[in-house]
Amino acid sequence: MGIQILAVSANTTFSQQTFAESLKLPYPLLSDFPDRKVIRAYGILNDRTMTANRTFFLIDPRGTIRKRWIVENPTTTVVYSDTLLRDIRAIIEKP
Amino acid sequence: MIARRLALALLIVAPCALARAESAMAPLLKPLDLAGYPTRTTPPHFSGSTIDARRLAIDDLRGKVVLVNFWASWCAECRPEMPVFERLHRELAPKGLAVVGVNAREERAAIHRYATELGLTFPLVLDHDGKINAAYGVVGLPTTFVVARDGRVVALAVGPREWAGASARALFHALLAEPSPDR
Repeated sequence: MGIQILAVSANTTFSQQTFAESLKLPYPLLSDFPDRKVIRAYGILNDRTMTANRTFFLIDPRGTIRKRWIVENPTTTVVYSDTLLRDIRAIIEKP
Repeated sequence: MIARRLALALLIVAPCALARAESAMAPLLKPLDLAGYPTRTTPPHFSGSTIDARRLAIDDLRGKVVLVNFWASWCAECRPEMPVFERLHRELAPKGLAVVGVNAREERAAIHRYATELGLTFPLVLDHDGKINAAYGVVGLPTTFVVARDGRVVALAVGPREWAGASARALFHALLAEPSPDR
């Protein structure tokens, strides 16, 4: 589909490397620790935990955010890739 | 856990690559399928209480080669490694190897029983609140880190390895042969 996945979190790069290795993640993890500038800029910082609220953004080649998925109850919610892919496909195929 | 840590995912339409510095230890890591680290990466500091109520801080082990193993008594894959770590501890501690076990969120009594049953004498650090596990990014057990005498982290193993085999011994001997920064 020509999509690059980037994952951002408020964890250290050290912690992220272990996490990526544990799950054999095929995409980069970006650390926004300690400043959390990106997470703040995207408006999803949880001030209590100082972590990001779990959210997906779809950004098009011109840099425009086409859609945002906010995951409610992030510790218990499973995000199904099929559902996400279907949504993404529908957006990308729109002129 | 995944939900908490992968708090935000960005999807963009542009290629991206992360450069990773090649470790000079790479030939020694490959046979054990160990992940390496960029040059001068140091592990997060931690300080914790051991099951015999001593304080242990990783910074205090500078000058030694340190093997930090994250484990739990319920972890079936951890169990066969523990006697191996005990053997390495007894054999290589005099040469400068420090074996440290960091438990995952269990109570002191349960850890003590496990250690007694397996005859473990190397330090076992408690991590009731999981903060040490989180700082190291541990999401699966066993997970093991190898730190050189100068404090740089050399290797990461997610899952069990043959720590008593020839490849592991070659790695430990190479690291033990490095000069201590205190000398």
